[in-house]
Amino acid sequence: MNKASIVALVAMPILLASCIKAEQANTECDIEAVSLHLEDPTNLFYHEYDTIQTVISTENDIVFVIRSYTNIQSVPVTFRITNGATLYVKDDNGVETLFQNGSSIDLSNERVYHFRVVSEDRVWSRDYSLSVVHDIPSEGNLTIDFEKYYLDSSGKYYIWDAPDVFTDGIWKNGNPGFKISKSSAKPMDYPSTPAAGQGPDGSDCLKLETCDTGPFGRMVNMRLASGSMFNGIFNVSLALTDALKATQFGSPFTHKPIQFRVWLRFEPGSFFQDRLGQLVEGVMDEPDAYVVLYRNEDAEGNKIQLDGNDVLSSPHIVALGRLPHYYNEDGTDKLSNAPIHGVTNEWQEFTIPVEYRAEIDAEVLENKGYSLIIGFASSWQGAHFMGAIGSKLYIDNIQLFCE
Amino acid sequence: MKHIVFTIVALFFLSISANAQEDRWEKWGPTTGLKGGGFIARVGYVLGGTTPIPLPAEIRKVNGFSPRGGISLGIDGYKMFTKRWGVSAGAHFFWEGFHTNADVKNYYVWLEQEGEVTKGYFTGTNVTSTEMWGVTLPLLATFRMSPKWNVSAGPYLSIYFHQTFSGEVFDNDEGIGYLREDKPTGAKILMSRENPTPYPDNFPEKMQPVALGIEIAFDWKAMKHLNVFGLLDWGMTDIWDRNFEAITFKMYPIYATIGAAYRY
Repeated sequence: MNKASIVALVAMPILLASCIKAEQANTECDIEAVSLHLEDPTNLFYHEYDTIQTVISTENDIVFVIRSYTNIQSVPVTFRITNGATLYVKDDNGVETLFQNGSSIDLSNERVYHFRVVSEDRVWSRDYSLSVVHDIPSEGNLTIDFEKYYLDSSGKYYIWDAPDVFTDGIWKNGNPGFKISKSSAKPMDYPSTPAAGQGPDGSDCLKLETCDTGPFGRMVNMRLASGSMFNGIFNVSLALTDALKATQFGSPFTHKPIQFRVWLRFEPGSFFQDRLGQLVEGVMDEPDAYVVLYRNEDAEGNKIQLDGNDVLSSPHIVALGRLPHYYNEDGTDKLSNAPIHGVTNEWQEFTIPVEYRAEIDAEVLENKGYSLIIGFASSWQGAHFMGAIGSKLYIDNIQLFCE
Repeated sequence: MKHIVFTIVALFFLSISANAQEDRWEKWGPTTGLKGGGFIARVGYVLGGTTPIPLPAEIRKVNGFSPRGGISLGIDGYKMFTKRWGVSAGAHFFWEGFHTNADVKNYYVWLEQEGEVTKGYFTGTNVTSTEMWGVTLPLLATFRMSPKWNVSAGPYLSIYFHQTFSGEVFDNDEGIGYLREDKPTGAKILMSRENPTPYPDNFPEKMQPVALGIEIAFDWKAMKHLNVFGLLDWGMTDIWDRNFEAITFKMYPIYATIGAAYRY
């Protein structure tokens, strides 16, 4: 009999472990993806893949872009939402009615629909907007001065308006990722910040600074965050699992860039460190500035979007202009103690030629088959979490000349 | 839980009804006779876990559990006042701990390091390891259930010399692993086993240096000087500092020891 009691004592923790409670209702309420169903999508859209959108977790406004001279009518729309959540469509008076997935809505004349997703537990909800807008024809040449900036909705960091031709009209950078690691940072402590009155002409300019990511960054071997600025998408969801993929570069562009001019000023940090935070002897940090044009669709019609892995090395690149650097024989970046980028602590205007590797197909170009990237970094190896904390790159008065 | 308590109580009353001969009580007395005292030197294997009670609904599945450490060396002094009743007090030095792998859903985490805070709701796999070195000082009432069986119960105080508490989070077997920053509608930060996110290394600093609990011990006199024993230390105080926000539920150490003892 007493053997049984010993068994009972030993078994107790195991029994406890088996007391799993009933699963609670989901609390999340995301639209994860949206697709529009059309017979012949390329009549309206530039790419077939443009009818499907994956909605990243920080996005609330879902915008589809169609060709400027077309108009979309009523189309069936399918949403993928969190399991157990309910989707409502709101009318102009804010009255919500259940949305039957796959039912048609009239998206003509850029009409904006408002949706609300309510979680399975009915406690949480998210509001989304959905619209189909016309492409704004661009004249090609771009002039950018980073004068229009404001705090994001959380009030934590700055965002900058970008030319309309860029995805959602906003410059992207790693600030949303920095926010996760450095909760105490004030807006001016972020890697990408405005520098009021510090431009070469006394106007506002952009300042990128390589920053220490603090204890949480050390925990995951992402000890620094290079200041960055580019057009495309920053998917903060991937910041920890696949940081290189979090930066998705480029927006469709219908002109052929030939020359890139920009005013730059650079102060390197003194301690060039590797991913583990160790000093790399005899290496000077370098800034980066580049323009890339790449083919954004493969032979099977799949979307190509360059990310941190291949932004400067993808075989889909057709043209490239970049600050001068040393390269290894295999074409990879070569660290050095005497860089040749030529950017100094004094403002200078740089003219970077855009060099073509392949013929441009005029029809593909016209149909948004190429994407343009304009990118900057305060540490050129920042994507690999290498660089010198304190490296500062100031940027102003960008001009992109097209054919 | 109710079943276990019932089993123990039932065993206890069954034992009282055992109708043994008086000479057997003498023979298996403390060492000789019915009263008097002595010492019990114990060597044991410790097995258990530090767990919230009951398990919160956020814990969906326990994938794995394995003990860490598992050594207890102790000495108890005892004194029998009557044929059946006595007291004991002692010191049990231990090295105990466990490792567990559990799937969680919507598990609130609040991590603070050097003034930086990351918080939100995690869904995925959570791996935890803890080890504790210390001494437990029990003060027990002893009851002789039968000539060869003693049961003792009473409060104890544990003092920890060193504690570790580490772990990491990543995606579960279905590939689901993410943190919703701040709230369930916040940014969804994916986690993966290729690049797991560890707990901050300051967790042990947030652990209480002492614990109070109840010990219950069963001793079986196998030979004149040799006992076989099983005892349970059930912690009644949370292992975490009261103001520690990283873990929202209280966790209690519950460890059983089985072993052999020299009785004198």
